[in-house]
Amino acid sequence: MKKFMLIFLGADYQKEGLSPDEMQARMGKWFAWNQKMQEAGVVVDGHALESETVRQVSGPDRTVTDRAGSEIKELVGGYYIVKAEDLDGAMKIAEDFPDYDLGGTVEIRQVMVFEQ
Amino acid sequence: MNRKEDTEPIIDHLFRHQFGKMVSILCRIFGLEHLETIEDAIQDTFIKASASWREGIPDNPEAWLTTAAKNRTIDLFRKLKSEKERSKYVQSGASTIAFSELFLDHEIADSQLRMIFTACHPALDPRDQIAFALKTIAGFSQKEIAAALLFKNETIKKRLSRARASIKKEDMAFEIPQGVDLKKRRIRVLEVLYLLFNEGFHSTKKDMIVRQELCGEAMRLCKMLVDHPKICDSETQALFALMCFHSARLDSKIDDFNEIIDLRLQDRSKWYFPLIVAGNSMMIKATMSGVYSPYHYEAAIASEHLMAKKFENTNWKKILFWYEKLQAISPSPFNLLNMAVVNLQRNKPELAKAIMERVKPQELGQRNYLYYGCMAQYYKAIKDYKQALSCYDQALSTVQNDSERKYLEKKRNKIQLLME
Repeated sequence: MKKFMLIFLGADYQKEGLSPDEMQARMGKWFAWNQKMQEAGVVVDGHALESETVRQVSGPDRTVTDRAGSEIKELVGGYYIVKAEDLDGAMKIAEDFPDYDLGGTVEIRQVMVFEQ
Repeated sequence: MNRKEDTEPIIDHLFRHQFGKMVSILCRIFGLEHLETIEDAIQDTFIKASASWREGIPDNPEAWLTTAAKNRTIDLFRKLKSEKERSKYVQSGASTIAFSELFLDHEIADSQLRMIFTACHPALDPRDQIAFALKTIAGFSQKEIAAALLFKNETIKKRLSRARASIKKEDMAFEIPQGVDLKKRRIRVLEVLYLLFNEGFHSTKKDMIVRQELCGEAMRLCKMLVDHPKICDSETQALFALMCFHSARLDSKIDDFNEIIDLRLQDRSKWYFPLIVAGNSMMIKATMSGVYSPYHYEAAIASEHLMAKKFENTNWKKILFWYEKLQAISPSPFNLLNMAVVNLQRNKPELAKAIMERVKPQELGQRNYLYYGCMAQYYKAIKDYKQALSCYDQALSTVQNDSERKYLEKKRNKIQLLME
């Protein structure tokens, strides 16, 4: 089994003006997806990320940029690390990502393994 | 955080109802003038919840949301303080209730009632009141209100901002009026709830879910009024009973294709018995004072229909009696129309005709097709099929609603078959 990171981009609930009911429904979908993956035993790790405080440090001078309030589209909203046979297997898992309809994207990256 | 392994699904509309509660509590703390900021802050709480509950729902989701809202309130509080813009509530000192007590159940209910009475404030345009109530008390989004009331998104947006502007302009207090003012305002509150309910019950343009939600919200709010000893009166109880009776047969009214089913053909086994029971016991309370409102008579009519096991068993005489009572205290051409229909059911077309002569179709506005539909039924009863057909044609030329059009067309086709 290989490990893959599913990185979630986009899908700004705030901007979409989702109603409380719609947000609850969406959360239900995330929850169901997580349940499904847990039952299949493929989840290694995963979290949603705060977007209220986003700080970037870059360059030799360690320039600090406060990116809170940037376009959610440009920010990583969360990730899962899952176990799968191959890229196709990971893609199959990512099919249930709930926010495609809100313009969300899943980036699938294989976790690199170093030969000892 | 505690996670539930075998999680039960979250209660339907938890977020929506929580939204309504929080808006009311926070308005009580900070004042109505901060309504918009408050709504935004609550929206943030949900966004947070929907991300952090992804992997599991907390043991007590409601408590989680309340805590999050409280914390958000404190954030707001600091922000306002720093702006040196202290709310009236904060300034009122000794008479204020401790902050945390506002989150107790009965205080939450009290805050929500204040919001209901605010939505029905006479300074608000009556057209804006329902939209505002749906947004702030029931937690509907602008888009959901537009879909529920069949208006454009833009229209609802305008109504909401107009309502907010009037509240600011009037510097409205966030309270339940007392004495004579309470009586006056309660009449409007009941009217708004009645309209909200009818919006769900009568419009056939909406899908079943929207209809149920509107009826459900109206009932939930009406129940809050009923449960408040100072606010509840016999009229409030009668309205609640009426809502119970109507809702009991909401499912049987419409078929799978969203078409109206004739009362005659409705599957009476689909009527929801617990609601009938609830309506009956509320009706007993409502009639104790001996003072009857139009809601009392409407409820009486609805319950007569429910009492008949089969359509053939309907006690039309009793129904006619209630309609006459209703017409006496609240005259309307629609009552007359219904009375005519009842007489047709009793095979008394001449009585129906006499009543119809008191109705002018133009009084019915956009719903004047009901007049022609009724006249068609009269002509059918006296076997003047030619006239019946022409009345149906007239009805069809003005009807706007699709399912009602289909209903009338079906009836018209039957007449045509009779003529062949």
